[in-house]
Amino acid sequence: MSDKNIDIRMAGLGGQGVVTAAHILGTAVVSSGKYAVVNPFFGAEKRLAPTESYVRTSNDPIYDRGEILYPDIIMVFAPEVITLGKSHTMPFYSGLKKGGTVLINSQEAVLSEKDRAGLDQIGANVSYVPASKLAVEFTGTALATNMTMLGALCGAVTDLVSLELVLTAVEERFSGKTKVVASGTSAALDEALKNNFEKNAGLIEKNRTAINKAFEFTKGR
Amino acid sequence: MSKKIFTPTKEFEELLPQDYKDLVNNGPYNAPKTIDDLGSFKEITEPHPHCAGCGVSLGIRLGLASLPSPEDTIIIGTPGCSYFALSQSALNYSCTAFGNQNSVASGLKRMLSIRYPQKNKDVVVMVGDGGVADIGLDYTLHSWFRGEKITTVMLDNEVYGNTGGQESGMSPKGKVLNMAPAGKKFNKIPVFEMAKTAGCRYAVKVTVASPKKLGAAIRRAVLIAREVGPTYVQVYTPCPTNLKFSPNQTIANAKDAEKNFYVYEEYMTEEAGACLSKIGELKEKV
Amino acid sequence: MSNEQKSVGAYNLLFEAERERAFITGSEAVSEAVKRANIDMAIAYPITPQSESMHLVGDLYAQGYLKDYYRAENEFAVMAAIHGAALGGGRVFTATSGPGTLRAMEMFPVWAGSRQPVVCAFMCRGVALPPSIQPENIEMAFLLDTGMLMFHAENAQDYFDMILAAYAITEQPEVHLPVGVFADGFFVTHTREVVMLPPDNLKLDSYNSDYSPVPPFDMENPPARVTRDPLLNKSNFVSYAASASWHQEVLAAAERSRKYIDRFLGGSIEIENGDADILIIASGTAVSQSREAVKAMKLEGIDAGLIKVKSVRPFPEKEIAAATANASIILVPEFNAGGWLCREVKAAIDNNSRVVAGPRVFGGMPMPGEIIVDEVKKALAKSGGAVKR
Repeated sequence: MSDKNIDIRMAGLGGQGVVTAAHILGTAVVSSGKYAVVNPFFGAEKRLAPTESYVRTSNDPIYDRGEILYPDIIMVFAPEVITLGKSHTMPFYSGLKKGGTVLINSQEAVLSEKDRAGLDQIGANVSYVPASKLAVEFTGTALATNMTMLGALCGAVTDLVSLELVLTAVEERFSGKTKVVASGTSAALDEALKNNFEKNAGLIEKNRTAINKAFEFTKGR
Repeated sequence: MSKKIFTPTKEFEELLPQDYKDLVNNGPYNAPKTIDDLGSFKEITEPHPHCAGCGVSLGIRLGLASLPSPEDTIIIGTPGCSYFALSQSALNYSCTAFGNQNSVASGLKRMLSIRYPQKNKDVVVMVGDGGVADIGLDYTLHSWFRGEKITTVMLDNEVYGNTGGQESGMSPKGKVLNMAPAGKKFNKIPVFEMAKTAGCRYAVKVTVASPKKLGAAIRRAVLIAREVGPTYVQVYTPCPTNLKFSPNQTIANAKDAEKNFYVYEEYMTEEAGACLSKIGELKEKV
Repeated sequence: MSNEQKSVGAYNLLFEAERERAFITGSEAVSEAVKRANIDMAIAYPITPQSESMHLVGDLYAQGYLKDYYRAENEFAVMAAIHGAALGGGRVFTATSGPGTLRAMEMFPVWAGSRQPVVCAFMCRGVALPPSIQPENIEMAFLLDTGMLMFHAENAQDYFDMILAAYAITEQPEVHLPVGVFADGFFVTHTREVVMLPPDNLKLDSYNSDYSPVPPFDMENPPARVTRDPLLNKSNFVSYAASASWHQEVLAAAERSRKYIDRFLGGSIEIENGDADILIIASGTAVSQSREAVKAMKLEGIDAGLIKVKSVRPFPEKEIAAATANASIILVPEFNAGGWLCREVKAAIDNNSRVVAGPRVFGGMPMPGEIIVDEVKKALAKSGGAVKR
C-alpha cells in the first residue's frame, strides 16, 4: 500500500515454472539490497491448471501477505490465461494499477476488444513477447519459458532489478546453491530438472542466452 | 535398571518403600524368576482388583511373571480392565488414549534405543481385545509393518469388560452382548493370522489354562522383539462377569477353548528361530 | 552434521549469536530452527501446508542432525508416538495442519497431563466448514483449553525464533508443558522473505530429562512403581482430588511459564504506538496486515496503534487490559470465522463494548489493509466524532 512498492503478479499454467520464476525474481531483488516477499497462489497445483505467483518489492520492509490484489505489473506466461480464462481473476488484469504494465507471452495479439478497451481505460502499457518461442529456439524446450519471461521483464521494466542479478539468481538456482521449494510436487520435479541440468551443464548457458534474447526483445520498446 | 544403580547407605536403607525392598530382596529385580516360582517371591503386580475369576487378571499375573528383564521393561496399555492390574505393577506403565498403544510404544522404544544404545529396554504392549482388534487395529498393524521392536500382548476376553459387556471384534459370532442385541454378525477378527502377514517375527495363540506355554511365549516374544522385530502373543482370558459363567469355571472354560477354537499355536520366522537357538532358548521344549 | 555443531544455551543462540540474512520460506525457517534445536527424534505425516517443512526435517535426519525420524500412519499415530518418545526422555518435534490437528486432538491434553515438553508446529488451515486447504486459524480455537502453551508466529522470522524459544521455555523444570507454535499456513509457510539466522554450527544444549518434574519412562528411577499418566478409572474421592490437583498443577505450570516467555519470547505482547485512541489487537498474519493498515491510516491522518499477541496460552490478560486501558476503539482482525481472539480480548478487558469484532477473513481470502481501515472508519463514524483520530 506504499507508492514505492512494485508488486508483480505472474499468471500461467501449472508446469510452466510460474512459481519458480517468482522465487528467482525475489532472490534477485533481495540481492540488490531491496526487500521482497514472494508467495505462490495457495492451491493444489496441477499441470495446466491456472497458477499464479506474487512478488512484492519495496525499499522498505513489507508486511502485506497473500495474493496481490492491486499489481503494478502482470506477467502472463500463457495466452490461455486470457483466451481460456485460466486466471484467478476475471478479467485477468483486474486490480491492475493505473499505468501498470502487462507482459504477455504470445506471438500474436490475443486481447479481446473488451479487454483492450478496459486496459486502455487504466492506461496500461501492454507488450507481447514470444517467450516460449525464444525458449524453444535457444534452449530446446518450452520449459524455459519462465526464464525468457524474466528476461523480458528486465527489458520492459527498468527500475525493478538488473538483468545481471536475475542471471546470477538463475545460476544459483540451478547450480544447487539455493534449493527453492515451490511445492511438494514441484520439489520432486525440481530434483529431476536439477539432475537434468547437471547432466547438461550447457543448458545453463543456453538459458543465459535465451534470457538475454528476451531481454533484448523488450528493451527499449 | 538394576538394584546396583541405587544403593542407599545403611542408615537410609530403611527409608526405601517396603515394596521396593521386597522387589529387590525377594523379587524378580536382578534375580530371574519364572512362573514356576510363583507364590514364593514378591511379584511385580499386586493382588488383583478385578472381578472374581477374572481371566485378564490371571493373564497379566502370568505374563508379568514371565518377563525376562522386568527391571528394564516398560508396559504400554489402554484404558479398560487390564488397566487395573497393570497400573499397580512395579513397572513404568503408561496408559493414555484408547487404541494408540502401539504408536506410543513405537516412539518410546525408539527413544530408549537412542538414549540407552547399550541396554535392552523391553517395551511391551499389554492390552485387551478391543484395544488391539477394534480401535487400535491400524496402529497395531502399522507398528508391525514398520518392524518396530516391541511385543504386543492381547488379553482376549472377547468383550469390552470395563464399559459393561459390549460386543468387540473378538467376540464369537452369534454371541448376544450389549450393542449386539441380535447376536454378533461376524467372526472373530483373525488378528493372529494378520500378525503373521503383517510382519510379526513370532506369534503365539495360547490360553490361561496353559501357564507354562503362556510363560514361554511371553519370554520368547520379548527376547525376539529385542533382537529381530515385532512379536505378538494372543492370550485367551475369559470373562466370567460378561460371558456369564461361574467364576470358578475360568480355567475349565479356557481348557475347553484350547481344545476347540483356541488351539495353541506357535509361529516363528527362521530368523526368530535362529535368534532363540543362539541365546539357548530353544533347548527346552514347551 | 550435528556432531560438528557446538552446543550453546538458548539465550545465546536466540539473542547473542550473530545473525545472517537468508531469503527463505516459512517451511524452510522451521527446518532451520529444527537444525539448531538438537532434536532427538521427529515423526511426520503429510498434510498441506505442513508437509514441506517435515520433508526438510527428514532431510536433516538423513544428514545426521536428528537421531530418528519416520512417517507414521496418521496424525493420531504421530502424536501418540511423539508422546511415547517424550516419555522416553528425549527432545522431540512434529508438525501438522488443520484436519490433522483435529484428528490428533485426543493426544494434546494427554501431552499436557503427562507434562511432556513436546514442541509441535501447527501450520493452520481451514478444516471443513466447508473443506478448505487455505490459510485460516480456526484450529487454534479448538486447542485453547488443551493445557498446551500456544505461541502465534507473525512471519517466518517469528516461526524460527519461536520454535527455538519454545524448547527453552518448556524445558524449564517448573514448566514442562507441550508447546504449540502456530503460523497461518501459506501466508507464512509458503512465503519467501528475509529471515535473520544465527550460524548453523550452533545448536541448543541437549535436553536433560533429570530436570523434568516427572521421571522419564526408562525404568532407571527406583522405586519403579510409577504410573506416569494422571489417575484414571479409580472411583473414589481421593483419586478425584489427586486428579484435580494434578490438573491444577498443569494450569499452574502454564502460569509459571510467563517469566520464561518474557525472557525467551521477549514478552507475550508487543505494542506499537500504544498511546493511540484506536488500537488493533491481532496475532499471526493478521498482525502483518494490521501493520499495513496502520501505515495507510497514518497517511490519512488517523492515529492507530497495534498490539501483537505472541502468546495465546498463557493469555496475556493483564498486559492487554493495561495496554488498552485508555483506548476508545479496539479492533480485532482475525483469519477465522469464529473470532476466538476477540472472545479472549473481550474477556480480558473492562468495558468490552469498545471492541470491534473484525474484520474476519477465512476460506483462503486475503485481508488487505483496506478492509481493516474500513472497519476503523465505520467505528469512528459510529462514535460520532467522540474518538480522536
